[in-house]
Amino acid sequence: MCLLETLPLPVVKVSEKPDEPIASSTLMIEQQSETTSGIPLKLLYGPDDVPSGITEALGMPPGRAPYLRGAYPRMYRDRAWRIFQLSGYGNPEDMNERLKFLLFEAGETGIIIKHDRMTDDHLYDVDHPEIVERREDVGLTGTVTVGLRDYETILSDLPLESIYAKPGGGVPQSAVYTLPSYWSVASRRGIPLEKLAGTGQSDFFLTYLGCPTKEQIPPEAAIRFNLDLIEWCSERMPRWVPVSIAGYNAADSGLSAHQELGAVMANAVQYLDMIAARGTVDVERLAHRIGGVNFRVSMEVFEDAAKLRAARKMWSDLLGQRYGITNEKARQMRIHVVTAGSAMTYQEPLNNIVRGTLMALFSVLGGTQSLGVSGYDEAMSIPSDHAHLMSIRIQQILQNEINLREVADPLGGSYYVESLTGELEMRGWEFFEQIQSRGGFLAVLDDGFLLECAEENNQRIVAGMETGERAIVGVNTHTIDDPIFEVEAFEGRSGAQTWEMAMERLSDLRRTRHRRGAMESLHHLREVCLDESVNAIPAFMEAVMADASIGEIGDVLRETFGDWQAPISV
Amino acid sequence: MSDYSQPPARVLIAKSSLDGHWRGVAVVSRALREAGFEVILGGMLRPSEIAGVAAAEDVDLVGINVGGRVEVVERALDEMESVGVGDIPVFVGGTVPPQGISRLTSRGVEVFPPGSSLGSIVNAARRLTGRDSAVGDGS
Repeated sequence: MCLLETLPLPVVKVSEKPDEPIASSTLMIEQQSETTSGIPLKLLYGPDDVPSGITEALGMPPGRAPYLRGAYPRMYRDRAWRIFQLSGYGNPEDMNERLKFLLFEAGETGIIIKHDRMTDDHLYDVDHPEIVERREDVGLTGTVTVGLRDYETILSDLPLESIYAKPGGGVPQSAVYTLPSYWSVASRRGIPLEKLAGTGQSDFFLTYLGCPTKEQIPPEAAIRFNLDLIEWCSERMPRWVPVSIAGYNAADSGLSAHQELGAVMANAVQYLDMIAARGTVDVERLAHRIGGVNFRVSMEVFEDAAKLRAARKMWSDLLGQRYGITNEKARQMRIHVVTAGSAMTYQEPLNNIVRGTLMALFSVLGGTQSLGVSGYDEAMSIPSDHAHLMSIRIQQILQNEINLREVADPLGGSYYVESLTGELEMRGWEFFEQIQSRGGFLAVLDDGFLLECAEENNQRIVAGMETGERAIVGVNTHTIDDPIFEVEAFEGRSGAQTWEMAMERLSDLRRTRHRRGAMESLHHLREVCLDESVNAIPAFMEAVMADASIGEIGDVLRETFGDWQAPISV
Repeated sequence: MSDYSQPPARVLIAKSSLDGHWRGVAVVSRALREAGFEVILGGMLRPSEIAGVAAAEDVDLVGINVGGRVEVVERALDEMESVGVGDIPVFVGGTVPPQGISRLTSRGVEVFPPGSSLGSIVNAARRLTGRDSAVGDGS
């Protein structure tokens, strides 16, 4: 097979400790054992494998800096982790129905609204030429909206004053449409903004690394909006996390565990330094606001549970050492985990329920505050209602049936896990320094460095699958010819129906709105976008309230900021 | 490796959906290049653009990364026919809904869902472009 000759094989690392002789007979085994991110694995770990920094941190209980052992003093005894699943498809009515089912019947404890990526991430109206030729795909990756009226539908009958929500806006340019839309619905219902609880995301790793959109504002413009969101929320929304760094997207794009850690820290430094330069929000307060971070837990479960523990310590150390923040509360990282979508196989999809359970378990062992488990049908579609329910049931079983909530940091003190934690911390800081020396977080998105790192890892992982060294049951080992249980991809509404209905709503919106008001709000938005000294969020609120469409808002951004060229040609 | 009596086959690799996930495309493109193919990366192309580029670049094979319904892939096939390049073989990969696979295979499209080995993809590319000559390993 020519692939064996041409694809790069994993770089083999041997322990560098000189005092650790390796018998030649065991050398092969030693060489081949390493985690996905490349940490060598030993047969047995002992006290000497735990770095002194970790031993010291182990002495501090959960709820105390450096938070190695957990974010809160009583962890899950006080509050179970939040079951926080992505959901969304079809039209706003479909979305509303799904949300009601999840909240009122299935027992989810927060809502995430997943938007149609074609229209929402791109801020395109449904009659945009890029959409029209792909109209059957509309609504397949999330719910499609044409303007604020659709948010009214999505949120109808939902108690916004008492739920925890992530209204969407995973991508910076769409967050400034999505969050103001959610907030405006609440405002119109007479709910004061300070009562709303939830989180934004506005993450850079998704569309500036893992899946660049067709057109998108440059990272500099995106970070300006993120800072505007941070300021806006700091002033009036004490229960809202304005932006949330999503290490998940870095990892599922290909960055390895320590690279995910280093890149998350570099992203935080970018926010903190830029907001400090603005001088509008106190850095200590800001640190707490951006301390809700999302990570991926993959099938490399021990390494990834260790990663969550290392992340909390690194965050606390970063804020203490680099910014001199002594207030422990401000140095606390709260974690949301999403289990790796890329671990879910297309073949024998029900096996993914087992994979989801394992990844969920180790997310909790790592001390996550909230958790989303990828649907077992992840490799073929957005979750069906059954796949979605299974993801919730996995979590409910973990919460109720195995005494998992009683003991904080159950992995703490394991020689193996602490060794991994220390190793990831060390390697994570090395990667962080690499990013900083190249000019910082925005620079490495722009110059393609992160993309190169991700691609290199992906090639290595695929090579391992090709040779069988990386075994995946039902895919490249223990395969059967005729599947005995088939799962269909969830497709929601048939054909182009979702698109046709959205087209009707769009023409309705254009026909029945106060046209001059909408145009004036867009004109004002354009002026505000051009003037960096003004916080842009009120102008976005004004535009959605005036029934400007998603595409019209997108046009303003495209005209003002232009199109970022991803440093990749695919 | 490639048959030296023929020039390298040209393959257009494009995404039909408006979803920029590049992992699969990057991995497949690299494997094809290393197997001697000339790969033209089209990025996110509309069905009509896929047909247009396939014709303009005179490719021997079109590979489409699917991130949605089969209707959009079928539209690309229709567009290829309407600009006179319906005879160029097409293979697809990505999150193809299982229930849609037979609709594509009935039009002669080979489907490689997630988990397909790179070896099988490269072999298919060789076969579809007539570059499988002597050494085909049949997998």
